[in-house]
Amino acid sequence: MSIPSGQNLRIRSMVYVAGEPVPFFWPMRSFIHHNPLHGFEHLPFEQAVEKGAKLFHARGFLPRRASQRYLADGQVDTETLRTAVQRFVTSQGVSLPLDLVAWLTTELTRQADPVITPLSIADSSLVYAQLHGLEAEVPTLSTERLAAELEQCLLSERPLYEAYDDLFGTTIASDLDEQVIRACLDFFDEGQSVWRMPNREEGFYRAWLAVAGSTVHRTLAELTRDEGQEGPLEPERVIALVLDRLEVPEDQWVACMTRELTRLHGWAGFIRWRSNATDYHWQRRYPGDLVDYLAVRLLLALTLLQQHSKRRHPYSVKALREAIAADPYGLYLRLELNRKDCLAPLAREIEQTLGRGKRDEIERLFHRYRARKGRVEAQRQAERLTALADRLDDRAGLLGLSPEELTQLLELLRALDRKEGMLWLTSMEAKAIARLVDGLSLLPPPPRDKRPFAEALFCIDTRSERIRRHLESVGDYNTYGIAGFFGVPVSFMELGKGSENHLCPVLLTPKNLVVEMSSIGVQDAAALTALEKAMHELKESVLTPFVTVEAIGLLFGFDMIGKTLLPTTYNRWRAHLHEHKPSTHLVLDKLDRDQADSIVRAVQRAVIVKAVEQEFELQPEAITDSMVKELREAALGHQSGCPEFQARLGLDDERLERFVDRLRTAYRINPAFAQLQMERLGRIGFSLEEQTRFVTQALKSIGLVSDFSRFVLLVGHGSTSENNPYESALDCGACGGAHGLVSARVLAQMANKPEVRRRLREGGIDIPDDAWFVPALHNTTTDEITLHDLELLPPSHLVYLDRLRDGLNAASRLCAQERLPSLLGEDKVLKPAAAFRNAQRNAMDWSQVRPEWGLSRNAYFVIGRRSLTQSKKLEGRAFLHSYDYRVDPKRRLLENILTGPLVVGQWINMEHYFSTVDNEKFGSGSKVYHNVAGRFGVLSGNLSDLRTGLPAQTVLDHGHPYHQPMRLITVIEAPLAHARQAIDNVVAVKRLVHNGWIRLLIVDPEAAVIVQYEDGQWITRDFVEADAATDTLSQEALSA
Amino acid sequence: MSSISLLLVAIFLPLFPFSMVFNRLFARIASAPMRIALLLAWPSIGLVLLSALGNTLPTWVAYWSVATALLYAFRALALRDLALWLSHIATSAWALLWLPAVFDETARASAWPVAAFSVPLVLLAWLTGYLERTYGAAYAGSLGGLATGAPRLAGLLVFTVLAAIGTPLFPGFFVLLNMIGVSLNTTPATALAVLAVWMLWAWAGVRILQGLIVGPPNDTAQADIGPTQTGILGMVMAAFAAGGIWLSGGLA
Repeated sequence: MSIPSGQNLRIRSMVYVAGEPVPFFWPMRSFIHHNPLHGFEHLPFEQAVEKGAKLFHARGFLPRRASQRYLADGQVDTETLRTAVQRFVTSQGVSLPLDLVAWLTTELTRQADPVITPLSIADSSLVYAQLHGLEAEVPTLSTERLAAELEQCLLSERPLYEAYDDLFGTTIASDLDEQVIRACLDFFDEGQSVWRMPNREEGFYRAWLAVAGSTVHRTLAELTRDEGQEGPLEPERVIALVLDRLEVPEDQWVACMTRELTRLHGWAGFIRWRSNATDYHWQRRYPGDLVDYLAVRLLLALTLLQQHSKRRHPYSVKALREAIAADPYGLYLRLELNRKDCLAPLAREIEQTLGRGKRDEIERLFHRYRARKGRVEAQRQAERLTALADRLDDRAGLLGLSPEELTQLLELLRALDRKEGMLWLTSMEAKAIARLVDGLSLLPPPPRDKRPFAEALFCIDTRSERIRRHLESVGDYNTYGIAGFFGVPVSFMELGKGSENHLCPVLLTPKNLVVEMSSIGVQDAAALTALEKAMHELKESVLTPFVTVEAIGLLFGFDMIGKTLLPTTYNRWRAHLHEHKPSTHLVLDKLDRDQADSIVRAVQRAVIVKAVEQEFELQPEAITDSMVKELREAALGHQSGCPEFQARLGLDDERLERFVDRLRTAYRINPAFAQLQMERLGRIGFSLEEQTRFVTQALKSIGLVSDFSRFVLLVGHGSTSENNPYESALDCGACGGAHGLVSARVLAQMANKPEVRRRLREGGIDIPDDAWFVPALHNTTTDEITLHDLELLPPSHLVYLDRLRDGLNAASRLCAQERLPSLLGEDKVLKPAAAFRNAQRNAMDWSQVRPEWGLSRNAYFVIGRRSLTQSKKLEGRAFLHSYDYRVDPKRRLLENILTGPLVVGQWINMEHYFSTVDNEKFGSGSKVYHNVAGRFGVLSGNLSDLRTGLPAQTVLDHGHPYHQPMRLITVIEAPLAHARQAIDNVVAVKRLVHNGWIRLLIVDPEAAVIVQYEDGQWITRDFVEADAATDTLSQEALSA
Repeated sequence: MSSISLLLVAIFLPLFPFSMVFNRLFARIASAPMRIALLLAWPSIGLVLLSALGNTLPTWVAYWSVATALLYAFRALALRDLALWLSHIATSAWALLWLPAVFDETARASAWPVAAFSVPLVLLAWLTGYLERTYGAAYAGSLGGLATGAPRLAGLLVFTVLAAIGTPLFPGFFVLLNMIGVSLNTTPATALAVLAVWMLWAWAGVRILQGLIVGPPNDTAQADIGPTQTGILGMVMAAFAAGGIWLSGGLA
């Protein structure tokens, strides 16, 4: 079939639709937590999990044994579970002479494995016969029905090579995956490889084709010949032609493409993200998208299928369908032979009979096999049922069932098997909700006679909850929670770096650029830094490692011993050898036109001086300002000659013209580029209005509009760990997976500006002159808080600095003391100083696979005043966003919190959820086997899909879940109408709530009620104030 | 040396097509003790008959034996039934026993190479019997994931198969090394062929282990072998390996 060129667009849109369920994968440098089933968020949670599990061949809920462990630990609300089972039984409309609730509850809570076993041949009558020791015939199967079942099994929504592997025992699918991974590793490499793939500028498909083997080219030549086209085929055409050659019906193309993409969903997700990231340097340089990827994949698949079949076996849909019709018994036996559940005693006989190929023998064996397998299945099912009945002491009840009743019981148990995950989940969440609600307080904080010593704004990150609690306990501190980018989306260009880094949630695209500058000039690299660079170059070369090992291998040995045996001491000593980053300033203010013009001129002048130096080997002192001015004007077309320059160098007109032309082209001194530079400079900084707006918004969103302390700390957070590709996953999600310090510095610089403060005062926020915003960084691995930009601190504040530092240090140590047992073992009780030292060692130990637990065990998102949860020890499980509905009558601030922080929190929560319930498929498995690939991801071993989720060491503890997988329990403290209106106004959040991706509670402080969204209904109950006795934390912490 | 006696030896130290006798017979036997008896008796008879052959054996017998060994090693690659696999490896290994007889008459009556090849096969036959009793068959693919389901059994299987395919430190390795050394002096091509046989055994061994050991465990309950039996078999393997090093390394 010839595909008209107009269809290319159609194929492209099909690929787009097919790729929708594949989650994005961001490069590891800025790890972004995401929901692996983001593409299904339009569906209710349960349905989405079912679909996702099918598509990714993964598990969507915890296995039963893990849920039973939670039950034993008291983490499951048994009453909710019992009620849910009761409701389930009622919904099924089954009436049997058994206590069904007891049966199903026992099945869930006391049976380690589901009682239901797969029955592919046996039916309930056969199970009945087994239970009663009767003889029964295995149900017969007509040839037509058998053929239909085979077609369903082999040809529905799956790549043809998978069916081929199942039938003929080949490994085309895994071979294909390997070859595609190799191609992706070669093409998408971002500087890790020494020998790079050629022609990458031409795009993924073309670059790969240029180095593909001869068999691929033969396949392509055949396709091209059939197409009747000269020259290379477009990737869209290749996709269409391969699918056409495989005779996949066109209405199944999208499903087929989706299945192809989800086989390696890590790579597909990365390519999908990359092709959307138009600003991404590597994408601009080496373009590649899912169309390229599918073309490569399908062409390879066809090649492998042809190679393996050698044109003897069927490898197209039509041919396979014909083969099924012609020899259903043989194909059935083939399929069984290559299955895990093949009856082992008959396996050899099947193999030999198929080898002989005699139809009558095959048919006889088919019937014998089915009869035997049917009996085995029925026997296994009967044994499990009997075991369950015995556990209930109700074997008589089971044996008293009629065949029809037994059928109903089996159906009920099968339905329970499908529903089980949700039953456990809702019961576990019910317990977690009850624990949270018990201890909330609507009492206003006691009145104060003076302002607090310091106020600290922390990121909403769950790890801030602990340090905030301890800081409040050690002194007169008020703390607030705000998204770690402090509401200011910034594109940041770090000192010495040429690229921008977006410091905000990935949902936002920053408009303003902040540049880091230092007053200290260019410094020579420290000796060790230079030596390390040289070492890396030696290691990366092809030949030098042979020499390097003998020559300087011993040096690496010392390094290794130091890092392994004395990580803290050695790394501290080593840090002294590295160059230290100089003190820097952030360029925050918008440039006016004259300033921008002046900068462009200065740059142009500097470039011209360099150009003259290089082209004419003139010393700088010989180049005068007037000569430079002449050349600049000439290059920009403002004047025609350069008399002084010409006279000084004795150039003729032609040579001068050549040089000026070179200035225009090679050195880019031309009006167009000058305009571009002006535009770029226009992005730098924030206008005064913008600065005022961002500060107002940040302060109002957390309800901090009065009683400002002398110190207002803006605490960003980051982590430190060695030898950890997932380091950025431990950093601030709200800052795009980077440290939060820059965002803190940006807001502090804005808020300390007198002009901004004057405008704030006009807007009703009066920040006293002695209040100073100090940026700080909370290292979540060590719990250390370090203050920054102290050189800008007013002298009047210096006297209070020691007290501030003491308070922060005490909080850090107490926090480490609380946190360390979860890393070292719950029985380890350390003193604060020892815990603090241990945490620091974790940050420097290169063999430490779990420097901290990160956001693991996150469960709650609380939007409200601090007093709501202040008396509650939330064990680092809650995102706490400060919010005071009284300063937000129009609900805009709440809508902002819902749109940004809550959605990011939900992504984080879902990433943890799915990485826990199926760490191999949705998570990234054990770190022990990880290798960094292409500088943007990790593989397990040397060849695998890109590992997308969280590693086992982040969510599992000794193989059992450490993270408790639940949907994010969100609490909004606001009047019901206020909160509901805000939710209704944010469509994305409304959808998440209604589809059950978020469990929502509204605590209405005015009506003193809690309203919970449950199964499409708002359920109201009275709020009961927590017992004051729970408020013992401060005392406990102080005594510790 | 009569043709009849040579033919008899070719049945018991199997040369193709006479090797089919042993393989047919082995395939028909389902009892593990019977298989073990056959594995011990068959090459022993062959060895006795071989030592009774008076004259020097022609070199073409060596080529024939290596060709047989190659054929059965190659066929073992495609086999998934452990019993059949071990009978093919046994045939391939015993066929190689002709080489010392051709190139070194003094080594003709040595029982050590027979023991080095046969003892691991005997242990493997016992494990095969255990698998068949427990799971109904010892069939790679349909019976997988033993490493997680029955780790002790999996461990024993791995070491026994490694011993059967002449992995270094097991006696089979030293015997093969000796064969290669002996052939290298006279017909280097034969030495290369023995190397090829060795490579095919290794490949076949990995394939059969892959089908039995790795992957997710089978749905059927995985009954592991008892600790006592594991200990006994482990000690036998260790003694076998130590004995191999002792005897083959000239330490005795």
